[in-house]
Amino acid sequence: MAFKRDKKEEEDGGGNPFENIEKTSVLQEARAFNDTSVNPRKCTHILTKVLYLLNQGEILGTTEATEVFFAMTKLFQSKDVVLRRMVYLGIRELSSIAEDVIIVTSSLTKDMTGNEALYRAAAIRALCSITDVTMLQAIERYMKQAIVDKNPAVSSAALVSSLHLAKTAGELVKRWVNEAQEAFSSDNVMVQYHALGLMYHIRKTDRLAVIKLVSRLTKQGLKSPFAVCLLIRIACRLLEDDDSAPGTDSTLLSFIESCLRHKTELVIYEAAHAMVNLRRTTARELAPAVSVLQLFCSTSKPPLRFAAVRTLNQVAMSHPSAVTACNLDLENLITDSNRSIATLAITTLLKTGAESSVDRLMKQIASFVSEISDEFKIVVVQAIRALCTKFPRKHSVLMNFLSAMLRDEGGLDYKASIADTIITIIESNPEAKETGLAHLCEFIEDCEHTSLAVRILHLLGREGPKTKQPSRYIRFIYNRVILENAAVRGAAVAAMAQFGAQCPDLLENVQVLLARCQMDSDDEVRDRATYYYTILALSKRNLYNSYITESLQVSIPALEKSLHQYTLNASDTPFDMKSVPLAAVEPLVLENAPQKGAPEGTLLSTPAAPQRLGVSKEESALELLSNIPEFAPLLPQLGPIFRTSEPVELTESETEYVVRCIKHCFARHLLLQFDCLNTLSDQLLENVRVSLEPAEGYRILRELPIPKLPYNETCSAFCLLEFPEELTASTGTFGATLAYMVKDCDPATGLPDSDDGYDDTYMVEDVEVNLADQVQRVWKGNWAAAWEEAANLCELEDTYALTSMRSLQEASTNIVQFLGLQPADRSERVQEGKSSHTLYLAGVFRGGHDVLVRAKLALADGVTMQLTVRASNPDVAELVTSAVG
Amino acid sequence: MLALVNRILDWFKSLFWKEEMELTLVGLQCSGKTTFVNVIASGQFNQDMIPTVGFNMRKITKGNVTIKVWDIGGQPRFRSMWERYCRGVNAIVYMVDAADPDKIEASRNELHNLLDKPQLMGIPVLVLGNKRDLPTCLDEKELIDRMNLCAIQDREICCYSISCKEKDNIDITLQWLIAHSKSGGR
Repeated sequence: MAFKRDKKEEEDGGGNPFENIEKTSVLQEARAFNDTSVNPRKCTHILTKVLYLLNQGEILGTTEATEVFFAMTKLFQSKDVVLRRMVYLGIRELSSIAEDVIIVTSSLTKDMTGNEALYRAAAIRALCSITDVTMLQAIERYMKQAIVDKNPAVSSAALVSSLHLAKTAGELVKRWVNEAQEAFSSDNVMVQYHALGLMYHIRKTDRLAVIKLVSRLTKQGLKSPFAVCLLIRIACRLLEDDDSAPGTDSTLLSFIESCLRHKTELVIYEAAHAMVNLRRTTARELAPAVSVLQLFCSTSKPPLRFAAVRTLNQVAMSHPSAVTACNLDLENLITDSNRSIATLAITTLLKTGAESSVDRLMKQIASFVSEISDEFKIVVVQAIRALCTKFPRKHSVLMNFLSAMLRDEGGLDYKASIADTIITIIESNPEAKETGLAHLCEFIEDCEHTSLAVRILHLLGREGPKTKQPSRYIRFIYNRVILENAAVRGAAVAAMAQFGAQCPDLLENVQVLLARCQMDSDDEVRDRATYYYTILALSKRNLYNSYITESLQVSIPALEKSLHQYTLNASDTPFDMKSVPLAAVEPLVLENAPQKGAPEGTLLSTPAAPQRLGVSKEESALELLSNIPEFAPLLPQLGPIFRTSEPVELTESETEYVVRCIKHCFARHLLLQFDCLNTLSDQLLENVRVSLEPAEGYRILRELPIPKLPYNETCSAFCLLEFPEELTASTGTFGATLAYMVKDCDPATGLPDSDDGYDDTYMVEDVEVNLADQVQRVWKGNWAAAWEEAANLCELEDTYALTSMRSLQEASTNIVQFLGLQPADRSERVQEGKSSHTLYLAGVFRGGHDVLVRAKLALADGVTMQLTVRASNPDVAELVTSAVG
Repeated sequence: MLALVNRILDWFKSLFWKEEMELTLVGLQCSGKTTFVNVIASGQFNQDMIPTVGFNMRKITKGNVTIKVWDIGGQPRFRSMWERYCRGVNAIVYMVDAADPDKIEASRNELHNLLDKPQLMGIPVLVLGNKRDLPTCLDEKELIDRMNLCAIQDREICCYSISCKEKDNIDITLQWLIAHSKSGGR
């Protein structure tokens, strides 16, 4: 206690000396750098201030930065070591903002090769930060020398800087591999580690070379524990790659296993962590790794305990049985003085423990939940979420705990994860629905996060009307309208309208409330209130369905684009909603699938290219096509792309030529895109096309071959077909052959040996066009209402025996995949232990025909299915029923 | 003994009459700027020089004068930065390769561009025509004429023909520089 107070006083007294500095005054002071005689102490202090400002996120303009930078270069006249090293730091910070930073190149090369040991490493780092690609050639000689320097600090600095340079000038850095190799044999642990990093980076793209490197090093035995850790990571990366040669796997695995007996704890942990996280690990391989972690659980070093329990916590979901062995040690950690360790231990136990211990553990965790940070609270919440799916009967205990947590202080991430968990419980467990909704209602009464309140209001609007007593939710929702900001008010209005549309006895009251909302101060809220009020006043059920309970089915970015286009060409015809492509519903990911983070590869892992937000497959495909001059003029006739299916491999992956087919479906046309890859380095292919034997009724309108296909490049050939008039004939199989002209060429240059070539063909698998390619998934919020509404449409019914299916879940998953329709009301999930199930599906067939399907499944010596199809076009209905048969 | 006394005397002198001067050395690439610095610093001439990328900072002591020399690279990409290093110095030394008639015009333009900058008003300029050991070299008169030095009226300007290789006229150049250590554009 006394210590604590002392520390506090110290903080009050000392404070942050840089607290009140200002950018303009610091820049003013920096002019002192230009003085004829340099005062090192003063200048060091000013430079510190500049660096402090930059690290606090202060932004310097280009002119300001350049001014400071050039003033700083004047400090090279001082021989003061501390000041010079500050200048290096300043150069690195300003190198990305200031202009003409290459001016210090010569001075830095002098310092990095000079005699002052304290300058050299830092000068290398600064030099690499100011060097652009054009100047690299000039410093290459110095870098090569520095990599093999005897001084470990210099060598490490050069190696790490090379890694950074490799991002922009990979080719040049590749030439330094011999120097890296030499540095690798250094006695210094850090140099060896950094050298291995560079060697791996240079060879990263060449799988064979990496395998060779790893197998050589695993035999040799490394001195540096850091390098061994990196080697383990590289080995894991190789093991995770699917197409690994069978022989190397076992040696890699046994290498990692042998690292479990290494003398350094760092390496032992890394190996154990790698073993348990490998996707392919079996129980036999897991046992030694887990027992190592178990040993770590009882060491006296907190970091090791933390690492071990954290790793166990991560694998508790994927390999619960293995972790159960450590339960006793984990129990001991519950009372650990380090709260982070205790939290992880408890949550691990929750994941692996039996139902009977849940209550005890929850009580234990409740005793200190207020003392841990948000990050670990989220870990607790995730554990509870897993528990709920595992022991649905415990939901009341867990739900109470969650709602208590909701009432505590916490950030958005934390609150969102609790709300997420409650929502998952509501959706998966009908018994918990009412209590869950009640907890959420209470939460939004005092919720400071707009995004979360909006989400919960939306959920209330969707689920509330279907509960036994919908009226109780209205009060909570209307309170939002009175108390909250515009975004929440808008969401509340929309939620109330849902009640009005789905509960006839509440309609009148809802209308009164909506009428009041029309006086709101915000435009959007008023607009929404007026919109819903007017529709509800008409009291027509079909209008309710299509304008209130169902959300917009078109893709929003596409709608925006079409509306913009429409306003540009002023015309008298009203805007047609049908011309906008539908939004594809992303296939649901099953919750129970083991969720794994990114594989722990190396330090240099590159993140997968992020998909552009809000842009669907169809839109990116359209963008691609409109860039092809042969197709751009055709596109307006074809209309928007209705659906783009997932790529299908038409060849094995290890063959001479690899062909993938992507089907783009338009309203009346089918465009096949063949992505071809030439894997033969001594061949140049010309005029490559896929010749098709179309199924009956199809007509080939146009073919677009690939003019030239060099080695290791992927190009696309296209074939445009017209669908048959008869809808029922539109599913079929096309025979396909790859046809091309071969020219032999020199593998090194890629230039053909002569101008003569010969024609050749290559058999590929057939292209199949099935129902799913022509249907877009549509999500129906209220499937039953839509089904009622479709009663007067064409209906077909048939019964099938699906003998090959062994369970209802398997049948349901297959049907959803086969028909390509979107399941509604979570009906794709079959409850365990039931002998019958009904699947509700919805979608739109190309040309804008709605399709609704009800599939009643019963388990009886295989699965029997009664399929009822309602569609706006009789041919479509027939196509669906015949497709299943 | 006398030598020791002399050295102590020198040291005292340097303590009381120590002078500092700062000068910037510019000019087109390959005119011999870095070579010149080496020659006045250590008297060594080196035929194989690499282009200066950026600048070199050297401190040279001659008698009781310490000369700080900013030797700036002459490649086109650095020429816009010359001015930054010329501000507030005691003298600007402009090096010309007098044996390369093709580059004289470019050199003249760069010099006049530089001296037009208002920040550099009044700073004395010393134009050095290097490489007089070569037969095609221009002498002082021709250089003054070709460089149009007569047009520069607002400051002190001087022109010498030197050879770093033969160490010709280096002594008078140094004398001129030391004479300007006190005056300057400040």
